[in-house]
Amino acid sequence: MPYSKEQIGALVRPDSVNKSIYTDPELFKLEMQRIYGRIWVYVGHDSQVPNVGDYHATMIGDQDVVMVRADDGKVHVLYNRCPHKGAMVVPEGNGCAGKFFRCPYHGWTFRLNGHHLAAPMKLGLEGTRFDPASPEFSMRELARVDSYRGFVFASQAADGIPLPEFLGGARSSLDNFCDRAPEGEVVASKNVFRVIQRANWKVFYENLNDTMHARVTHESAIQAARDEVKAEGLEQMPLRLHIMENNGQPYEFWEKLKLVAFDHGHSYMEGIFDPGSIKKDPISHAHYQTLIDAYGEKRALEILSENRHNTIIYGSGSPHTVFQQFRIIRPLSVDRTLIEIQVFRLKGAPEEVYRRALMYCNVINSPASAVMPDDLEVYFRCQMGNRTRGGEWVSQHRYAGTDKPIDGGLVAINGTSELPMRNQFNAWKQYMLAAA
Amino acid sequence: MMLMEEKFDYSTEATKRVAVPADTYQQLSQFLYHEARLLDTRQWDAWLKLWTPDGMYWIPRSRDQQSPYDALSLCWDDDVLRRVRMRILDSPRRWSQQPRSYASRLIGNVTVDGTDSDGCLLVRSVIHMTEWRRETMFHRAGSCVHKLVADGDSWKIKLKRVDLIDCDGAYEAIELYM
Repeated sequence: MPYSKEQIGALVRPDSVNKSIYTDPELFKLEMQRIYGRIWVYVGHDSQVPNVGDYHATMIGDQDVVMVRADDGKVHVLYNRCPHKGAMVVPEGNGCAGKFFRCPYHGWTFRLNGHHLAAPMKLGLEGTRFDPASPEFSMRELARVDSYRGFVFASQAADGIPLPEFLGGARSSLDNFCDRAPEGEVVASKNVFRVIQRANWKVFYENLNDTMHARVTHESAIQAARDEVKAEGLEQMPLRLHIMENNGQPYEFWEKLKLVAFDHGHSYMEGIFDPGSIKKDPISHAHYQTLIDAYGEKRALEILSENRHNTIIYGSGSPHTVFQQFRIIRPLSVDRTLIEIQVFRLKGAPEEVYRRALMYCNVINSPASAVMPDDLEVYFRCQMGNRTRGGEWVSQHRYAGTDKPIDGGLVAINGTSELPMRNQFNAWKQYMLAAA
Repeated sequence: MMLMEEKFDYSTEATKRVAVPADTYQQLSQFLYHEARLLDTRQWDAWLKLWTPDGMYWIPRSRDQQSPYDALSLCWDDDVLRRVRMRILDSPRRWSQQPRSYASRLIGNVTVDGTDSDGCLLVRSVIHMTEWRRETMFHRAGSCVHKLVADGDSWKIKLKRVDLIDCDGAYEAIELYM
């Protein structure tokens, strides 16, 4: 049964959401049309396709797409479909198409921007309505493609706000991400982690700025890190343990963190690792020195003092500026989500800064890490629990009604506020109603 | 400037071929089977003692991955991270191990490749680990290289590299060492 505007509106209350938002396949289908079918979604980083012909096959919502560097030097995003019989032109992953795409089925070829190039044995098409100049016989490009500091986004809707406006306040995180590179640019690592979560995609977004879960969900890793330090008689907690143990900070620590929410569902939380480490830690200090050389001391300090933990770009994923990663969140079905984790080199920064980011990702985000499996488990339990008749609503009451307006968004009065979640569902409701 | 020194030799290519006597080959095979059994039976302390203090456990993320410092690895665990993993697996608050996993590791095709430039023995094998957790069977298959240092009448593991056939795939949680 199709959802009416009233029914969709009633799913989101100011302080709670209806559980069917996570469990109803019909709503998932609508999300694919009204959210992923319209808004700007992160496709990949332009450093993933450095040369003409390089491609990266991925998904935007339920759509298979291919990001490609064309002869004009620009990055294009095409639907991965041959207009002849509909075959996917590129099988998967990354590669180089060469000078043009060629469909493996009947050999139709396309320029790297998707335009029709040739079909074998043209004679048989003469006198028919086949027209190589018509878009119907080309690989279709997504309606809009734009990038922000190398991060490529695409939208399937021809109309709508431009990318910079869509990103709004979240731009400051992408800016800081790139400014941390002495050359102002970042380069994606060769491989990514891909993690399957048996839960709805929205749960991951909620978790990203959820400061109340860390000490509970990750208790086993927190305790193991503490026990290890004690058992081995270590004077200092090594960084690889500190990053897991830090989740065990007392509630007062989390309460003091800044939470900032922006329009369109985006937000960020303040960093949870010591910003003063540029003085103490040799890697941070070396990084700081390269930034001083590039930008001068005042600006270098300003860049590294912008200490943020997870930023949320709703519908795309989460850049982490301090550990140079982008976690891409790709919904697969109502109860299945793919998380893709990219790590970046900061151009001009010491190689050790990149190695530290790899280490962070290995310890925190790997499917084989100390931290990620417990998140996956609690997401799965939410998915299962919400299938029961044990209740209709999912609570987001913490500090509801106390958020303070700022330019282009809201700021929480307490770091444990569920403002980011309320902000996400406010955007969700707007998207789902606007296109109804 | 080298802030994180790359002292550890993570290469797995033999620089010298060696012929091992049949009984040594037998002992090496037994060593690998014993290791698998310790993991199957969750004898973590005994398993941890099989390692040199500087030993590294590596599960690359890419095929033919050249270095753990250039790209992501599923695991690149030193002694600290190995011990922490075992503590976590035993924790009553490891939610992702409720219910816990059960696993069976099958080791085969054991071959001795030779020695590296430090004289460590390089032993290659294949592994098939089947893991059962909450109504799901997971299969992990691939090849292993053990870099072994002589220790009395046995060996210690200096490097264990596990190349999974689906190393670049999408995974749910991987909690157990292979």
